[in-house]
Amino acid sequence: MPRVQRSADVTWEGNVARGSGAISAATGAFDSLPYSLASRVEQPDGKTSPEELLAAAHAACYAMSLASELTGAGSPPEHLAVHATVTLGQVEDGSHRIVASELLARARVKEVDGQTLDRLAQSASEGCPFTKLIEASAQVTVNATLEGDTDGD
Amino acid sequence: MATDRRAEVTWHGDLMSGSGRIDSVTSGAIGGLDVDWLARSEDAGSKTSPEELIAAAHASCFSMALSNGLAQAGHPADELKTSATVTFQAGEGITKIALTVTGKVPGMDDGAFQEAAETAKENCPVSKALAGVPDVSLTARLES
Repeated sequence: MPRVQRSADVTWEGNVARGSGAISAATGAFDSLPYSLASRVEQPDGKTSPEELLAAAHAACYAMSLASELTGAGSPPEHLAVHATVTLGQVEDGSHRIVASELLARARVKEVDGQTLDRLAQSASEGCPFTKLIEASAQVTVNATLEGDTDGD
Repeated sequence: MATDRRAEVTWHGDLMSGSGRIDSVTSGAIGGLDVDWLARSEDAGSKTSPEELIAAAHASCFSMALSNGLAQAGHPADELKTSATVTFQAGEGITKIALTVTGKVPGMDDGAFQEAAETAKENCPVSKALAGVPDVSLTARLES
């Protein structure tokens, strides 16, 4: 398989407490997104943060992995909705650490029962390269429900 | 204090021919971004991918950590320009991240800047979360 590279550029001006930065994707998919310490650890106020971008990366990575698992099991999904929540926590020494990434998936898929979906949802997390990486720092949890089910989220 | 940031993605169909969209995030700063496997693993076109978002997260986290380190060393930066390039090998995962930073930092010598950049690379929360990447490189340069 080919090796692919993806890049992003950031400019930052000033110190951490009062400075601010701008984040751009090399593809142009997003450009000059402002961010600051306040948007990262307090109220986002319309601004993104490194952890929000990781949440988007994890949700997108996981959605592809779950689509692959379901397809492999003979049931390509009609529709998947994935929510990822990344938590930046403060640890004992006062420094910040990414402590959790929580994945919630809802699947509209034929001929798959809840138990099978649970199994595939776990495999999909293990198969998503980002899960493997972030587990160095964060606890990754996965919950999947069939669309139309009343239990769970 | 813990801070949560959430993103929502929808996907239709199988991996190879299906497609997805990053619909929304907590802040509302991004939304409606299309993603698919071909754009992720071959030619991106103008579509983002998990790896591009990781590059953006790492570059932004590193820049904040470095600005903090420089200010604590008594040399706040006028400007830092950082780029991160994430290398993805399908079937293998993320094999490399290359960080490059150019700084305008009044009164700072190159040795101290290199040291501050290395510390930011080691300690920013995204670096720690990505500690499993086999190769994370750093090129730091002072601009006068």
